[in-house]
Amino acid sequence: MLTLRDTSPAPSPARPRPRRQAFERRPFRDNPLLIVVGIALLVTALAATLSFGSRSSRFSPDFLTEFVLYALSAADLAMILALVFVLARNILKLMVERRRGLPFARFRSKLVGVLLGMTLIPSVLVLFVGSELIRTNLDRWFNAPMEEIVASANRTAGDYYRERQKLVSDTSQRISVALAPLGFPDADVTRVFEVIKPEVAPLRTSMVEVYRVVLGRGPRPDVSAVAEVRVPSFPSDYNRVSADRLAERVASGSAETHGFEPLGGGGELLRSAAPVRGRDGKLAGVVVASDYLTGEMADRSRRMTDAYEQYSKLKVLKSNMFGVYISFFLMVTLMILVGATWIGFYLAKRITRPIQMLAAAARDIGAGHLDHRLEPETSDEFGALVEAFNAMTGELSNSRQDLERSAQDLQRQHQEVEARRRYIETVLERITTGVVSVDAAGRVTTINSAAARLLGLQGAGAGQPVADLLGRTDLSPLLALVEGARSGAQDPPAQEIALAHDGREVHLAAAATRLHGEGGATEGTVLVFDDITPLIRAQKVAAWREVARRLAHEIKNPLTPIQLCAERLARHFQSAPAPTRALVEECTKTIVGEVESLKGLVDEFSQFARMPAPKRIPTNLPTLLADTLALYVGLFREVKIDTLAPPDMPLVRVDPEQIRRVVINLVDNAIEAMERKGQIVIEVQHAAVERVARIVVADNGPGIPASEREKLFMPYYSTKRRGSGLGLAIVRRIIAEHGGSIDAADNVPRGTRFIVELPV
Amino acid sequence: MKPLLAGVLLPLVASLVWLAAMGGPVRAANEVDLQVKLLAKDGHVQVSFTLTHGFTSELQAAIRSGLTATIAYETELRRGGTLWFDRTLATATVTATARYDNLTRQHQLSRTVDGRGEEPRLTEDEAQVREWMTVFKQLPLFSTKQLEENAEYYVRVRARTRPRVNWLLFWPWEHGAPTGEARFTLIQ
Repeated sequence: MLTLRDTSPAPSPARPRPRRQAFERRPFRDNPLLIVVGIALLVTALAATLSFGSRSSRFSPDFLTEFVLYALSAADLAMILALVFVLARNILKLMVERRRGLPFARFRSKLVGVLLGMTLIPSVLVLFVGSELIRTNLDRWFNAPMEEIVASANRTAGDYYRERQKLVSDTSQRISVALAPLGFPDADVTRVFEVIKPEVAPLRTSMVEVYRVVLGRGPRPDVSAVAEVRVPSFPSDYNRVSADRLAERVASGSAETHGFEPLGGGGELLRSAAPVRGRDGKLAGVVVASDYLTGEMADRSRRMTDAYEQYSKLKVLKSNMFGVYISFFLMVTLMILVGATWIGFYLAKRITRPIQMLAAAARDIGAGHLDHRLEPETSDEFGALVEAFNAMTGELSNSRQDLERSAQDLQRQHQEVEARRRYIETVLERITTGVVSVDAAGRVTTINSAAARLLGLQGAGAGQPVADLLGRTDLSPLLALVEGARSGAQDPPAQEIALAHDGREVHLAAAATRLHGEGGATEGTVLVFDDITPLIRAQKVAAWREVARRLAHEIKNPLTPIQLCAERLARHFQSAPAPTRALVEECTKTIVGEVESLKGLVDEFSQFARMPAPKRIPTNLPTLLADTLALYVGLFREVKIDTLAPPDMPLVRVDPEQIRRVVINLVDNAIEAMERKGQIVIEVQHAAVERVARIVVADNGPGIPASEREKLFMPYYSTKRRGSGLGLAIVRRIIAEHGGSIDAADNVPRGTRFIVELPV
Repeated sequence: MKPLLAGVLLPLVASLVWLAAMGGPVRAANEVDLQVKLLAKDGHVQVSFTLTHGFTSELQAAIRSGLTATIAYETELRRGGTLWFDRTLATATVTATARYDNLTRQHQLSRTVDGRGEEPRLTEDEAQVREWMTVFKQLPLFSTKQLEENAEYYVRVRARTRPRVNWLLFWPWEHGAPTGEARFTLIQ
């Protein structure tokens, strides 16, 4: 038998220990000692009932039918109620359990049904058969011959008594008649003795007593004994009280003239009284005649009558006696039934409860509670089953913990990889370096936005063959680089590649690197390229600045002596003849003029070489533009200058003088490009998202070819007949010193747009 | 539920029905009538009652068998209540006992009122026994001193016979005891 004990341990903070679970213990029904005591009590009650039943023949019918029948009926009724209660309660519980679909409810109901059927059916059959046997035996008790025998015996004894009674009655009557002439109550006692002595003799009348009755002295007559004659064999322990009482009753007029008096030493006296009349006819005395029945005769007669009465009582109480015996039998049957029923339910529960608990534990484990454990307390098959269940649960728990750990590791690694991927993706998206990765099959796996922008590949995506991606003619050097890396034994060296894109020349520093897997096999190629155009441009600017500085230094120094010498020559030849003087003056004037031009050119070079750092202050760009453009009012009649500015333009930290110079330079260039005839639109914009302020100078002049746009900002490049070619170079330098950019584009429908972007 | 129904309920019900049928015959109670008459006189409520058909053949057989037969008359003086249960003011128990000696063929008769007995009588006449057991005349059972004038009372008498020879299975207690009552208004 399996019993379960709840031994739930305190949970450990490090690793939760298995949770020991058990059904709720029932303090009475699960206590073996109480169960044994209950069974012992039941067996004792059963044994006591059987013992009492076996001794029932010693009890009188009155006792059996009154006391015992009541007690047995009450006990039977109580046990029937208990049985019905136990059955109804458990059957209802089973029905409810089955309706709720609890596990093993059907099995338990079948088990209970079989156990109860095995108990009830034999018990009921035994009850039927036993009851019929009792009824048959009771009927046999009261058969006709037996009744005739005991009735005849009783009649014989009664007749004998009646005959003896008649004898003494006749004697008393005869004596009373004989005594009447003697003159009672004052009769002579001697004469009285003479009358009664002949009547007293063995085998006739054993004793005669005569009483005198005197009336009128009180409410009751005065009765006193006057004579007594008895046979010698009369018992010596005779007491005359009963004779006196009988005489008093007769004297009082009672009709009871007979009496019986059992004697202590055995035997019995039969008495009969008769009144004695006086001469006046009134009651004057009483004669009591007694017949002594010996002990043996009286006992024999009494036994015969007792046997008849016992038989008659049993016959009268036959139905009750049947009730007594059937109640006995029913009580024993009910005891067995109650005990068997209870044991049946108990066994069914004890058998199914561990199974139910296993099923519940299995459901609990199925729900994910792998720390569920059962606590066996026995080593039988149920204990082994519980141990196996616990072992299985432990294995499941360990496996799940391993899986959870692995899953956590995988998740952590995945998170790390994902974070790294996001990091790399972010870096790739944010860096200005173009990155294109190609797998072993030649398909593009990644291409960042910088690569797409630098290569002009808008809409390019992963999965595309690299030959298609880089199939454009100007991108063929890059494709060759990638193919070289894929097919070659070593990574090709980095190369500088110039691409012409949208009329601009873009210089890229490109390198292709193979990706090696764990086994050393090539898994793909990564093409990395940087836009080095600004770098080259800066290098060129720096070179030009150095050239300018050297030119300024080397050219400016001899200019002054040359100019002084020319002026000295002109002064010296003022006294010369007119033709000579005119020639000298013309030459010296030319020399001085060219020197002045060279000085201006050198000053511009010097200014380009030594551009001062901007002094930024918060500046209202529309106001600055309006002030600057006011210089052009009235200068060019055929040039129209329009300005557009938003009303909420924020202040921008710039050097106003340098920005003014930028605007003047751009407007001058536009006027020159339009040959002083046309329209110029200057627009100030604020791009809040990009956090830049934009100044757009657009003209409707002839425009600039795309191939020439990049050269615009190079020093010494000019499309004008006059000019140093440093204007736009200085403009770009100023804008660069402000952290901005400048670019040129076509104006729609015609002309050129210069776009200046300054950080806000 | 079929095993339970077939194995438990059907045998149990069948056995109970069969055992109930095996029980002793139940005599109809309406054959017996208890008539009560009252008379308020001399400071007492004098109760007379007669148990008609109460001296049954079963009782006669029990007496002839030598069993001591007793008819106990439980009398109650009660006052009716309109809003509550009737109130019992006094009780008295009158018993009549007969025992037949098959040897001497004489009946020994005795009566008690609340345990106080009279002188036993002997008789051979069964008619006297019947009257002794069933007819009671003007028994001064209750005093009228505690009663209110012009109030209505009633006396209820219930007769219980011993030995009982009618056995009902599972219910040996008295069932169908004859009861009679009579009402009176105390006028002094």
